[in-house]
Amino acid sequence: MSGRPTATGGWHSRLYTVFVALAFVALPASAQAHMTAPGMNQFTSGLLHPWMTPTHLIILLALGLWLGQNVPLRLGLPFKVFAPLSAAALAFTTTGWIPGVPQPILVAVALAAGAVVALELRLPPAAGAALLAAAAVAIGLDSGAESGTPWAIASTLLGTWVSLGLGLVNIAYYVSLAAERKKKWISIGLRIAGSWIFAISLLMLAFAMRRGNGEGGFQRQNIQHPTSNIQ
Amino acid sequence: MLPTPQTIRRLAVLSLLLLLPATVHAHSETGTIGGFESGFLHPLTGLDHIAAMVAVGIWGAYLRAPAMWLLPVIFPVVMAFGGALGVLGVTMPGVEMCIALSAVALGLMVALAARPPLWVAAVLVGFFAIFHGHAHGTELPQSANAMTYAVGFVVATGLLHLSGIALGLLVHWPWGRILVLASGGAIAMLGFGFLFGFIRA
Repeated sequence: MSGRPTATGGWHSRLYTVFVALAFVALPASAQAHMTAPGMNQFTSGLLHPWMTPTHLIILLALGLWLGQNVPLRLGLPFKVFAPLSAAALAFTTTGWIPGVPQPILVAVALAAGAVVALELRLPPAAGAALLAAAAVAIGLDSGAESGTPWAIASTLLGTWVSLGLGLVNIAYYVSLAAERKKKWISIGLRIAGSWIFAISLLMLAFAMRRGNGEGGFQRQNIQHPTSNIQ
Repeated sequence: MLPTPQTIRRLAVLSLLLLLPATVHAHSETGTIGGFESGFLHPLTGLDHIAAMVAVGIWGAYLRAPAMWLLPVIFPVVMAFGGALGVLGVTMPGVEMCIALSAVALGLMVALAARPPLWVAAVLVGFFAIFHGHAHGTELPQSANAMTYAVGFVVATGLLHLSGIALGLLVHWPWGRILVLASGGAIAMLGFGFLFGFIRA
């Protein structure tokens, strides 16, 4: 008996092939349960950092939702406030004076941004700038590269900065595309997303406070820049 | 008799599929994914929670806009407040009883087609949300990643609301209205079962 697909059994054979391929796709996940970055260059590592750090990601998401929610999209504040302050904060981490940002501060920023989205607030420029500034400084100071050569650290921080800026602008842009349609359900959907961010942040704050009381239950969220693994 | 190539292929596929559960459960309740998994499954593994969350969605849809959207915004926020109290170890009396009562009350609201003012609905839903959140907060596994646990638990709760809203929107059809009211009655009956210990959540 031949294993070749027959005219009638051809689709069965293709189905098996797809099935086996899908099953194989699942296999590497076991090996990658603990992320390492062998061979990943420093810039890429920096690019991924905000997306692999849940508190940073949630802040970016909330800020992007807020910026995109208020149509027409205005990117003046992100360019004038977020980009330079995040660059400054990232650069400041190289001094080693600040080892990181306490989680409650990061979570408080996410909480504020989530509340603004949930309430669909149009903040005055000064308040909006303050929110963006707090986010930029908090994320920037919390994204320091652990160790490595000066070039490796610089590449990593540059990657993080590019990722933060592009990430924020992208989220805001795509949210604004939806918000510009002026559909009630889109507006409400964004507010629900804001309320979820607020709820998650509130719980995070409680977890952080419990950790502050020495009861544990809160693990460090940051995926450290693996510059030290890169030779 | 030798196995045919087709049989060998089938056995190969089956044996590969056996590896999948090992991938999913390799790190139960630990790490980023484990925390999310644990948080996401938490509201889904308690029938009392499911009943109440779905009832919130059904009732919101029955009350129509803006209640349909306002209740799912209010619930997670207030629930997170209750969750924070639970995480911080603040004790609250009668949590399990109030969770069972929430299924009774919200189920009855649906079954009786109650249309109270919006603020009454919001206060009622918010009141019960505190107890649901408190239960989730106190039952947080110590080993779970807190951040992703919170994300999973809020997302799962939101999805339960959305499934309730989807069910509630059937009210636009005559047969759907019967189904929605009957669902409310079933949820209330479940609530009574939890309350009097006939059913274990």
